[in-house]
Amino acid sequence: MLHYIELIFTNLNGWGLPVIMLIIGIVEFSFGLYENHWTNNERILDIVCFVVPRIVVRPLIAYLGVLLLPTLLPNAKNIFAWVPFWWGFAIIAVADDLTQYWYHRLHHQLPWLWRFHRTHHSAPYMGMAMASRQNIIYTIFFSQIYLTTTLVYLGLGYPVLFVTGIKALITTGAHSSIKWDKPFYTIRWLKPVGWVLERLISTPATHHAHHADSSDDGIGNYKGNFGNMFFLWDIIFGTGIITRQYPSGYGIKHYKQEEWYAQFLWPLFKSRRKGSELSAGGPMVGDSVAVVPAAVAEV
Amino acid sequence: MKTDKVTQQKIIRDALISIVLYALPVLLMLLSFRISGERPWKQHPQAAVKTTR
Repeated sequence: MLHYIELIFTNLNGWGLPVIMLIIGIVEFSFGLYENHWTNNERILDIVCFVVPRIVVRPLIAYLGVLLLPTLLPNAKNIFAWVPFWWGFAIIAVADDLTQYWYHRLHHQLPWLWRFHRTHHSAPYMGMAMASRQNIIYTIFFSQIYLTTTLVYLGLGYPVLFVTGIKALITTGAHSSIKWDKPFYTIRWLKPVGWVLERLISTPATHHAHHADSSDDGIGNYKGNFGNMFFLWDIIFGTGIITRQYPSGYGIKHYKQEEWYAQFLWPLFKSRRKGSELSAGGPMVGDSVAVVPAAVAEV
Repeated sequence: MKTDKVTQQKIIRDALISIVLYALPVLLMLLSFRISGERPWKQHPQAAVKTTR
């Protein structure tokens, strides 16, 4: 039995997750959940962001890890291999996801970092198509990848296999336009489970709120709900809002449908759209210019 | 453009809380070893080799 579970997670971290994403993506598309927002420019950007990190960035980081870690940390290989599985699981779950929480939160709260994360928020829809959508710099400096690679080198590779697998399923589920969490808020006997679930992990309701294009309806919370696997960090730090509802619009209000290559490769390539955050000399944070001049720093 | 002061203070406060959160599973593990008397690093051949060097 354990062998099969191990096999599932090994494959999940390899080809399994992309296949799951493709299947869910096809279902979302067939149900028309992207409405008319998936234009040619969005389509190219989503596909490039889905493919390039998987075939270039991640293998390169793993290769560099194998190359550099023995030099940086000699004699430390497998030094913590004695750590019992469940303790290793807890250590990695916290180390990986709390680091990602901070990486994500700082990209929203420090204005100079916003444009590296903006690409993920510019999609005017939720779903598998935009789940991997990120600027290349954001992907390269995805801080917890380096932390987790180091922990694997130190001997915690086995629990990493399960944590990354579970995390991938949760974050994929939270981005999906299939609102799988709805029964937990509507069916009476499931409500207590829902109460725990929405505080512990990211769900479509809480994560969709993070991708809302407005917070005026009291549902959207694009200045919070930063959690990736665990929503618990938002509860602890007071950055989360739970409404059990889904926003009516996604994306960013000042989106100018910037060219896919500018969204993917900024600041190496700039947008030609006038007034765009990604254009040469454009504003650092677009909505601060349109709504409240120089007063609100966050997006 | 700068981050407002309230946000800056919240970031510093939450970063300090995070240090405790990072350490928590490690501290709980060590506490469990203390209570149970387990010494798993002594049973693991690779770790034993490292400590004898």
